[in-house]
Amino acid sequence: MGGPLLEVRDLTVAFGPRDMPLRVVDGVSFALDRGETVGLVGESGSGKSMTALSVMRLVPEPPARIGGEIRLDGRDILGLPLREMPAIRGRDVGMIFQEPMSSLNPVMTIGDQIGEAISLHGRMTPAARRARVIELLTLVGMPDPEARIRAYPDQFSGGMRQRVMAAIAMACNPSLLIADEPTTALDVTIQAQVLELMTDIRERFNSAILLITHDLGVVAEICDRVIVMYSGRIVEEAPVEALFDAPRHPYTRGLLKSVPSFSETRERLYQIAGSVPPAGTIREGCPFRARCPLRMPRCAVEMPPMAAHGPGHRAACWATAEEAAA
Amino acid sequence: MARYLLYRLLDAIPTVFLVLSFVFVAMRILPGDPALAALGPQTDPAQLALFRERMGLNDPLWLQYLKFLWDAVRFDFGVSFLSNQPVSSLIARNLPHTIYLTLTSVVIGLALGIPFGVYAATRRNRPADSALRLYSLLGYAIPDFYLAAILLIVFALNLGWFPILGAGTGFWDGLHHIILPALTLALLKSAFLGRLTRTSVLEVLGRDYVRTARAKGAREGRVIYRHALRNALLPLSTGIGISILATLSGSVAVELVFNRPGIGRLLIDAISERDYPVIQAGVLMFAFFVIFVNLAMEVVYVLIDPRIRMAS
Ligand SMILES: Nc1ncnc2c1ncn2[C@@H]1O[C@H](COP(=O)(O)OP(=O)(O)OP(=O)(O)O)[C@@H](O)[C@H]1O
Ligand SMILES: [Mg+2]
Repeated sequence: MGGPLLEVRDLTVAFGPRDMPLRVVDGVSFALDRGETVGLVGESGSGKSMTALSVMRLVPEPPARIGGEIRLDGRDILGLPLREMPAIRGRDVGMIFQEPMSSLNPVMTIGDQIGEAISLHGRMTPAARRARVIELLTLVGMPDPEARIRAYPDQFSGGMRQRVMAAIAMACNPSLLIADEPTTALDVTIQAQVLELMTDIRERFNSAILLITHDLGVVAEICDRVIVMYSGRIVEEAPVEALFDAPRHPYTRGLLKSVPSFSETRERLYQIAGSVPPAGTIREGCPFRARCPLRMPRCAVEMPPMAAHGPGHRAACWATAEEAAA
Repeated sequence: MARYLLYRLLDAIPTVFLVLSFVFVAMRILPGDPALAALGPQTDPAQLALFRERMGLNDPLWLQYLKFLWDAVRFDFGVSFLSNQPVSSLIARNLPHTIYLTLTSVVIGLALGIPFGVYAATRRNRPADSALRLYSLLGYAIPDFYLAAILLIVFALNLGWFPILGAGTGFWDGLHHIILPALTLALLKSAFLGRLTRTSVLEVLGRDYVRTARAKGAREGRVIYRHALRNALLPLSTGIGISILATLSGSVAVELVFNRPGIGRLLIDAISERDYPVIQAGVLMFAFFVIFVNLAMEVVYVLIDPRIRMAS
């Protein structure tokens, strides 16, 4: 099939009453091609995880309500009955979760947990499955995998658990790998290994990676494109070089400024003056305006549309849209 | 694991000792003369005195106490005042009935309660959930002897589907006899277990590893029974232990209503006739049961939770 692997159009995730919805994801649109690694960045609470979970239909509905359109390989995910999702989860889309400490079942051996991810999507003899589990554990850099398959999650450090999560996510060679801060809990050397592993998988299976992270250093290292979210909305989207060379949204500029030299540092992105309004609380105008150095009267009234700034480079800001036009 | 259990077993020794002492004191405080109770009010005083002498009732209390402890650790409970049979053979004859009743009730109670609780948890605030709430309310409110009487009247007396009295002989007859008594206790316990299961499963369903299971592509049934329920069993097993003990104490009333042999019946009869040796033995049997169930629950914890297994 032509078209992108993943296409998200006008995605909205809302909580709360219908007449006063709290939109934690609000009108998000983007696409991912095969073989591509796209970074999704933004401060805590900006709706990154909710966006990712929507692709898997793992956002609890109710209480949440999801709107818009998600197409995976042309299939309309949000239009599918929920009972068809298990066939897609794990096989077409693999996900590494943000919380390595709590995301593994404490009463199952890790061998069984990885084995389950395999056997849910294909028949295999127990011996073949075991071999595949060991292969996956070797792939994620687990020392002594034969012995480790009988261990329980509590016997592992956060980094080791994140590797087990990665093995589970990659068990069926999914065409889309979503990694929600896969490296936050890890120390630097392991971070590098996990990232290398992900790029490896992408190359071998021509899959796409959606990498959610706080870490612009990681983005610069392995991403092709970046999507910046703020308060439930996409505020800028650009190829990596363009974003780092010429950011077009004042929020992105703030993010980059807070990282002195992007290729070296692994600092987190918390240093812009002011704080993020919780996603969905700003109902009119630009959600960033309170902290924005380029603020103008118009920002309070109307949400700026995404304006083009070059190939694949778009940003939602009245001020920079004028700069570009001028 | 074996070591761990040995420690647990040693832990139980002071408890056993306390129970023994308590039983001894309680027996001596009870009003009434055991000799009179055993031989009847018309007995001549010389015979009463002889009986007291033979049973050691004239010894100083401390000596009686030591003798009592010594006999208890040898499982020698003497001879029933009433029937003149060795207490140990009375126990041996009645204990299996009580164990059979308790186990059957617990198994049926679990078989009803756990699926009901799981079902309600997955249909939160829908009709099934409300039904469970009502059911458990009734389960808490209805006394066991009352439910026993109703089942007896409706299904045994009026409909004649089940025998009215006794325990029956042989496996199939025994099964036929135990259905109503076991159902009495099981229905009440399943109300409690259903509620407890619902709460534990709901709690676990919100956990991150349940989301991981779904993300792998597991279907709801598997998510619930393989991932959620196994974790919910940890908090649940305490409740199961409690309900086994509650079933045991409920068996006293049920044995009376259905006129079944059992430790409960034996004990009640012994108390009303002041048959000291039997009362002592009966109470001890219940105490041992409690200790045994607690120990068994420890084993169950270790089996379900690898974390305890690794720590010990
Ligand atoms: N059940 C819920 N009801 C209401 N709001 C919710 C609920 N779950 C999440 N939210 C809100 O949704 C918003 C987006 O959350 P999300 O987890 O997507 O953020 P994030 O960008 O992944 O943040 P982080 O970097 O901390 O992981 C947050 O403001 C959060 O408070
Ligand atoms: Mg998140």
